[in-house]
Amino acid sequence: MRITTKRRNRIDIAESGALSDLAFLLIIFFIIIAVFNVNTGFILGLPRKNSSKIVNVEDIIKARLGPEGTVFIEDEPVSQELLEKAVVERLKLRPNMTFLLTIHPETPYQYVVDIVNLVRKDEVENFSFRMEEFRK
Amino acid sequence: MNIRRSRRRKPLVPINSMSDIAFLLLIFIMLISLINYRQEIKIDYPEGEYQEVTQADKNLEIWVDQGGRIFYDGAQVTLTYLEGVIAEAAAENPAVRIHILGDKNTAFKNVNGILETLKLLNHRAVSLVVKEPSN
Repeated sequence: MRITTKRRNRIDIAESGALSDLAFLLIIFFIIIAVFNVNTGFILGLPRKNSSKIVNVEDIIKARLGPEGTVFIEDEPVSQELLEKAVVERLKLRPNMTFLLTIHPETPYQYVVDIVNLVRKDEVENFSFRMEEFRK
Repeated sequence: MNIRRSRRRKPLVPINSMSDIAFLLLIFIMLISLINYRQEIKIDYPEGEYQEVTQADKNLEIWVDQGGRIFYDGAQVTLTYLEGVIAEAAAENPAVRIHILGDKNTAFKNVNGILETLKLLNHRAVSLVVKEPSN
């Protein structure tokens, strides 16, 4: 009796389509990684060193940012909500309003970003900030 | 006489070449990702809602960690060194976008040092990089 051995069909990996699936998954992975590198934030226009601009005194709203993140308007502490309200009201009265912010050197950066965020939200065009001089 | 009709073959889409295309695309995207590769410094990003995309064609990233140390291209640098780097980058391409990636807990004086340097160099636009709030 003759015994015939059954031939196994060879599987071609390229023909199976698995390779292209894997490659496309890798492509998607790299595309996502590339997208992660995009920076988002706030673009600020900086003035020239020692430059000055003439502004109407009545258009100015002055605030001070303390080291604990407290905002002071005319030495009175105000909450973020009150500050926003004051800015919006002043903007209605004076569209050319300038928001001047003095920041304590030790203030955590997040609090500064919060104020910039508020300025962007309320569409204040003239925003100026500077660091408070070191006090002894 | 018997006329034999030639049988039409069914149209086939050659899927063998798909993997070749996929791999070429893969190599292309991998190369692009390598060009975009950046040296990240471990910081806690500040958060802000009203952000916009600040990425430009040519970018220069300055990192400030919680302790106030300044990093450029993965290495710690001084403000004086940074001044040279910015001046060189601006001379090469005046439209270069400067990004400040500061830790949210760093003192403002550390970020202000960089802003003062930019003012000194008459560099007008700066991007303060923030992330979307987590909750």
